Amino acid sequence: MGDALGWVEGLSIANELRTSRWGYASVNAAHILGISLLVGAVVPLNLRLLGLWAQIPLPALARILVPTAAGGLALAACAGALLFSVRAQEYADLEIFQAKLLLIGLATASAVYLHLREGLLLAEGSSSRQRVHAAISLACWLAALVCGRFIGFSMP
Amino acid sequence: MKQTIIKFLCISLLAIAFVQVSGPAAAHHGWSWTTGGNIDLTGTIQEARLGNPHGVLKVDVNGEMWTVEVGQPWRNERAGLKDGDLAEGVEIRVIGEPSADANEKRVKAERLYLGGREFVLYPRRD
Repeated sequence: MGDALGWVEGLSIANELRTSRWGYASVNAAHILGISLLVGAVVPLNLRLLGLWAQIPLPALARILVPTAAGGLALAACAGALLFSVRAQEYADLEIFQAKLLLIGLATASAVYLHLREGLLLAEGSSSRQRVHAAISLACWLAALVCGRFIGFSMP
Repeated sequence: MKQTIIKFLCISLLAIAFVQVSGPAAAHHGWSWTTGGNIDLTGTIQEARLGNPHGVLKVDVNGEMWTVEVGQPWRNERAGLKDGDLAEGVEIRVIGEPSADANEKRVKAERLYLGGREFVLYPRRD
């Protein structure tokens, strides 16, 4: 594990980012853009699944918000991997970072499961499965966001 | 069902609050974790870990190991520091704000002195 993290820190892109000013800042900005797209899509979609805005057709909403959330997650994950590479060992040792990865894993698994069962656009009818997913998703993504921000305040 | 969801959300929020309260006192971002007053330390650099998101030195101050937070590369460069200035074995004087947790030997540097030369990391702080 330590070897793998050392290898990541030794990558040329990691070395580049470690010393660059605007490169590092840009990757940071991309990470935030990804998070804002993800959370900005996931929160209204989950509130709809919990019963808010019931008059708005779910498939129409899902057609916009599901790809937005997925795209945001992909961007945040790519930029996040680059930020991680700069101090891989330190981040990996951080409990709050481990908690964040666990929360992201849970929320993503819950979304994949729901869409496997109900399709990408989600069946109309507000099933209890949808509500359970919405509760898990809301709690996990918001907690992951908080954990992520806290990393900057708890480095060794 | 609705009650289960509300219960789940409440427990999650409590968990977040708990992490916040019990979280490590160590911190680096901003100045909220420091005392607001300056201390003055002189010692020998034992370890230098520089680069984004910020640089960290381990400094031996009369047998006590202090963690000294310095700037990111652009801030150190702006202060006039060159590659290799902050290296193992170098004698350093640090003026900066210590952690509000007195048990934690950690200081965020505002100014550094290497062999009589001054390097100001945060010009607008006293």
